[in-house]
Amino acid sequence: MDIETVKERAGPREFSPGDDLPEEYRKAATRMIEFHANSEIMGAYLERPFIRQAPSIDRKLAFSAKVQDEIGHGQLLYRAAETLGIKTREEMLDDLAEGRGKFLNCFHYPMDGWVETPMIAFFVDGAAMRRQATLRRTSWEPYAHAMDKVCFEEGFHVKHGEDILRTLMNGSRAEQRRTQEAFEEWWPRIIQFFGPTDDKSTHHDFAADVGLKQMTNDELRQAFLDMYVPKARKYGLEIPEYPRVSQNDEGRWVVEEDDLDWDEFFTVAKNNYEPGLGQINGRARAQEAVEWVRDVIEGDGAPAGGRSPQAAD
Amino acid sequence: MIWEVFRQEKKGDYHTHCGNVHAPDREMAKQFAAIQHGRRKPTNSIWVVPKDEVGEIDTDDVPFGGTTDKAYRWTTAYNLQTEQAREVEESDSEQQEAEKQRGEA
Repeated sequence: MDIETVKERAGPREFSPGDDLPEEYRKAATRMIEFHANSEIMGAYLERPFIRQAPSIDRKLAFSAKVQDEIGHGQLLYRAAETLGIKTREEMLDDLAEGRGKFLNCFHYPMDGWVETPMIAFFVDGAAMRRQATLRRTSWEPYAHAMDKVCFEEGFHVKHGEDILRTLMNGSRAEQRRTQEAFEEWWPRIIQFFGPTDDKSTHHDFAADVGLKQMTNDELRQAFLDMYVPKARKYGLEIPEYPRVSQNDEGRWVVEEDDLDWDEFFTVAKNNYEPGLGQINGRARAQEAVEWVRDVIEGDGAPAGGRSPQAAD
Repeated sequence: MIWEVFRQEKKGDYHTHCGNVHAPDREMAKQFAAIQHGRRKPTNSIWVVPKDEVGEIDTDDVPFGGTTDKAYRWTTAYNLQTEQAREVEESDSEQQEAEKQRGEA
């Protein structure tokens, strides 16, 4: 199939592994899905310490289940990417460990306290879910199928995240104040989740033309702000002065894009942001630490299995 | 030799199991599957898989979903009484449907 035919046919779930697709399409889809898969994994690693720090047994169980889900989403997505025939899962995981694999800006920043958890589990997951819902109509069928399962599960993450925020904002004065501080720190990064405005986006046109991407950064950011700014305010969070956010005549929320630090954004995007390297290297060490498990499973002396997967239930 | 047959109704749908056929090899299996399973119901694509290649575990082997209460994993456990984004509501109703089906099973 040539690229013109791809553009003509491009529609929801149009292309499957049986189709002979041009390299340009397969590369663009790989870049997009690999980024998404890497983000699931890096997000899970960022949140993992909070399983231990959870303030109650209910939170611990739910947080543990959520982190497990995110790792599972990463696995689904690496499969959807691998099927394009450009990179193997091993190559993608090694690239991530060695600092070449790219992932979401928010997951480059360290998290220090429990009050930060709803910034990821509510706002970032809410933003991610907005985007993922549109990707159920992507043209690469295995990606759309992965999104069906991801979106099914993700509602729990977002509602659980909102529940954490609600609890914190109904807690002590000190808790409310620390949650507000965390919000001020994370808010600009959360807005940058959807990347720069469309005129500055490098990959959008092609990805949209071949049906991989279903909505522009601007449309997604708009839908997110309209839903989540009122939610933040409802729980008593004050929207920071900068970046300036205001309601236009139609009641929609708009951001002054120039108020955001795009130098930092692009430094982060290139994996050159110093604290982010700590996240990358931390996961690389985890990958190295369990290498013996992969060797045992994939080596000649592989165990025959036979135990029911109790621990995974 | 038995081949399990998976039919996809429309482009983009899932291939779902719909039966099996006798066939000496993969080519014949595809032809028989197309005739038996692809004629009456709308069909976009069919997969055939040798029965011996299919692995199975069932409820005798493993308690699917675990043996303890995991209500915390479901959207329905979080009663926020706030307006939810459309995509969160969709997830919510899909989960409610799954919960209902599990209850019926």
